[in-house]
Amino acid sequence: MNNSVLVFREEWRFWSRSRLAGGAFAIMTLVLLGSVIHTWSYSTSESERRANLQEQAETAFLSQPARHPHRMVHYGHYAFRTPVPLSALDPGIDPFSGTVLFLEGHRQNSAMFAEASELSSLTRFGSLSPAFALQVLAPLLLVIMGFSGISRERENSTLIQLQASGVGSSSLLAGKALALLSVVGLLLLPLAVAGLLLVPSISASPAAVLMLVLVHGVYLMAWALGTTAVSALVRTSAASLAVLLLVWTLWVIVLPKFASSLARGIEPIPGKIASDLYLLTDEELADGHNAADPGFAVLTAQLLDTYDVDDVADLPMNIRGIVSSAGEAAATEKLNEYAQQRLSDELNQAHVVDRLALLSPLLAIRRASMALAGTDLEHQHRFLREAEELRFSFVQGLNTLHAEELAYSDDIKRSADATAEQRTRVDASNWRLLPEFHFSVAPAGDRIISALPMTALLIAWTLTLLGLCALIGKRVRP
Amino acid sequence: MNQLTQLWVECRFQLTRTAVRIVLLLALILSTSAVILGTIEVNNQRSNIAQLIDLDRVERTAAWQTNGDWGDIAYAGFHYTYDSPSKLAFAALGQRDILAWQHRIRMLALEGQIHERDTANPDLALLGQFDFALVASVLLPLLVIVLLHDIKAGERSAGREVLLLATAGSSGLWARRALVLSMLLGLCLLLPFWIGAFVSATEATDVLAVTAMCLLYLAFWGGLVWRFGRGDLSAEVTACGLVGVWFLLAIAIPILGRMAIIATTPLPESGEILMLQREVVNGAWDKPKQTTMDAFVATHPEWRGKAEVTLPFEWKWYYAFQQVGDQEAAALSSQYRAGIVAREQAALWLGLISPPLLLQKSLSCLARTDLSAALNYEDNVRAFHEQMRHFYYPLLFSNASYDPSPLQQHPVYTENDNSCAF
Repeated sequence: MNNSVLVFREEWRFWSRSRLAGGAFAIMTLVLLGSVIHTWSYSTSESERRANLQEQAETAFLSQPARHPHRMVHYGHYAFRTPVPLSALDPGIDPFSGTVLFLEGHRQNSAMFAEASELSSLTRFGSLSPAFALQVLAPLLLVIMGFSGISRERENSTLIQLQASGVGSSSLLAGKALALLSVVGLLLLPLAVAGLLLVPSISASPAAVLMLVLVHGVYLMAWALGTTAVSALVRTSAASLAVLLLVWTLWVIVLPKFASSLARGIEPIPGKIASDLYLLTDEELADGHNAADPGFAVLTAQLLDTYDVDDVADLPMNIRGIVSSAGEAAATEKLNEYAQQRLSDELNQAHVVDRLALLSPLLAIRRASMALAGTDLEHQHRFLREAEELRFSFVQGLNTLHAEELAYSDDIKRSADATAEQRTRVDASNWRLLPEFHFSVAPAGDRIISALPMTALLIAWTLTLLGLCALIGKRVRP
Repeated sequence: MNQLTQLWVECRFQLTRTAVRIVLLLALILSTSAVILGTIEVNNQRSNIAQLIDLDRVERTAAWQTNGDWGDIAYAGFHYTYDSPSKLAFAALGQRDILAWQHRIRMLALEGQIHERDTANPDLALLGQFDFALVASVLLPLLVIVLLHDIKAGERSAGREVLLLATAGSSGLWARRALVLSMLLGLCLLLPFWIGAFVSATEATDVLAVTAMCLLYLAFWGGLVWRFGRGDLSAEVTACGLVGVWFLLAIAIPILGRMAIIATTPLPESGEILMLQREVVNGAWDKPKQTTMDAFVATHPEWRGKAEVTLPFEWKWYYAFQQVGDQEAAALSSQYRAGIVAREQAALWLGLISPPLLLQKSLSCLARTDLSAALNYEDNVRAFHEQMRHFYYPLLFSNASYDPSPLQQHPVYTENDNSCAF
């Protein structure tokens, strides 16, 4: 064990003298700090911006004058997706998903104004977030610092000297690996500190932050162990560097993009316009604007029967409002069915990508990290579902007003008779039925559970590489 | 030996080396899979468009049959618009996974419709796409580095340098070797592209342009690596330095540039376009009808005499306030678009110091999968929407009773492609 400490110390001494290792480490430190500051400030200003817009939209709705309730169904409302607290560490798919959804009667719209579409050609290359720095750049640093760990000793013929002086190959390997692992520890510091600072300031869950730091630790450990193993297995430093860079390129650039294109190729999604058209073609939906639509005949007959009247005009409520409400409920059921199909199609594509995580730990850490931060596909879907609940709630609230507060006799004349039109306007105080909307992240426990499979995969990667190191440690030859 | 024979000899020698064979095979595999995946994606988009054109027509015909006045016809008639992928799109899928290339629009205010996005799964968009443009711009340089970095140092460390120089004699040896290796690599990269282009019936000029760009790019990296590798540095120091340069050009500059562009080119608040348009459109219900009609007539003087509204609801007034909504939001909307164009311009300047970025932008521009193509599509949609207005206004303003025969002349959306203007 003592010998490992010796090797560990020697490795650090080598790095402090090496311009390559020292320079790379210094640059990485700057990049990490820069990424934390940049992403944090961006995420904070986006939160404020979208929260302001949400408030603006709510104020606009509440300050509408007295109107026919159905006008408000079409006036509609906006739901903004405010960034979740931990998007300051891993923005995930946030820049690629729409930030605002227009909510109105009879329709489900798509989320608009994704940040990626506002800077299209450069988003391809990634953005500098702490997660990107740790998942993509930090492995490169470990490679640069560790590729010659053992092979250098072999090339300088110091390996024989070391072994002659009683440093066993296990201790040598352990010392080299520990040195790289200590670099991993240092790399995690900015993330851990930023996470700790985030906990009180924007109420991020400490457990999720801890897990986020841990999964990145496990991921980087895999890289540190893999680098050490390669530098022991490959004869020359040049070859070791070439192998490690090849692995980095494959794991970080080629496989993730390949996985994405493959998922698109084998599980193509028709898209929202197609889904809307399928719905229109396959389903008979009655028009809620038209009380005479045959789709509502049964409902109307029941009402006439219940209230024992012959004409809808004699009903104690406005049949038009009833029909609007029934039409909306029926349409929403179908819309949700088709929307759910789209969401599960998207998840299927994501699962194709996940299967390739067996080949590239980057895909595993990325999924785990986004799940913990609450910036993954599941959360975008959560936003869409919450916004849909809001839509259905205020639209049906307005339809109830339509049924209960408006006289049918006025309602049918309102397009032609100006005084009747005035009487079909309900008081503006009714607009307070609009629920407040604030998109919130799933509870930390749920996020941790959804990150578990990929965390397990990362641990398996690390244990396998640890086993490989132990195996090599028994027989490093000069 | 003449030059050509010497090249041929060198070529045959290089092909016997295992390392060279592995790298060339890798290039071939990467390029082939990129071309295949790109072709599948483009075919998916094409069949999606073809299917939707049919469904849309069926659906519109059905919707029109149940309606009996021009206002309803205009309200119920959704029209599918699209931007078909070009015949070169398979090689550079570009930004079609984040920018809109299909909309289903109707006669209502366009600003409320045109910002909708029916785009790919954001989880996949974040990962990006594996296309030929990626292989050529980002991966090819790494392969060049692997092949050429030890061109001299490799022989030196193997102890053959002096022998080689003595026997081959000419100082052109290293240059010839670099040339042969680059050509072989270029061939492995381009061969799958040429086959893909043949399958997709890509225009010969596009194939030539892409080939020329790739060769130029290859020459840039080959020259760079050759220049570095010619010195007396060890192979690993050369490789480290070159990978550093690659990292700077292909990753660091685009990422830092993106941060700089976002900071220096702010966009007008996108959400406000939507809200402004909505306020104008919905506010009309509570304003005197004449206010709306005056604003409408100001831009459409031909309807001055017929713009009087007497009933609480008339379709011409309804579509007039949709038009006015677009008019009011037009300034903000075009500011937003100008901001995005300015950002793209800045990214173009960035391409001057980042060749990988420049190649990607050039390829996706040529393939019409970039922002300029998406903006051109948006213009097409706007033009079509305008045509619809010109079609419906006479019918609505003349209070014509409904007779379906004018529907034969209903505008039909047609694609109007523009070419890459760099």
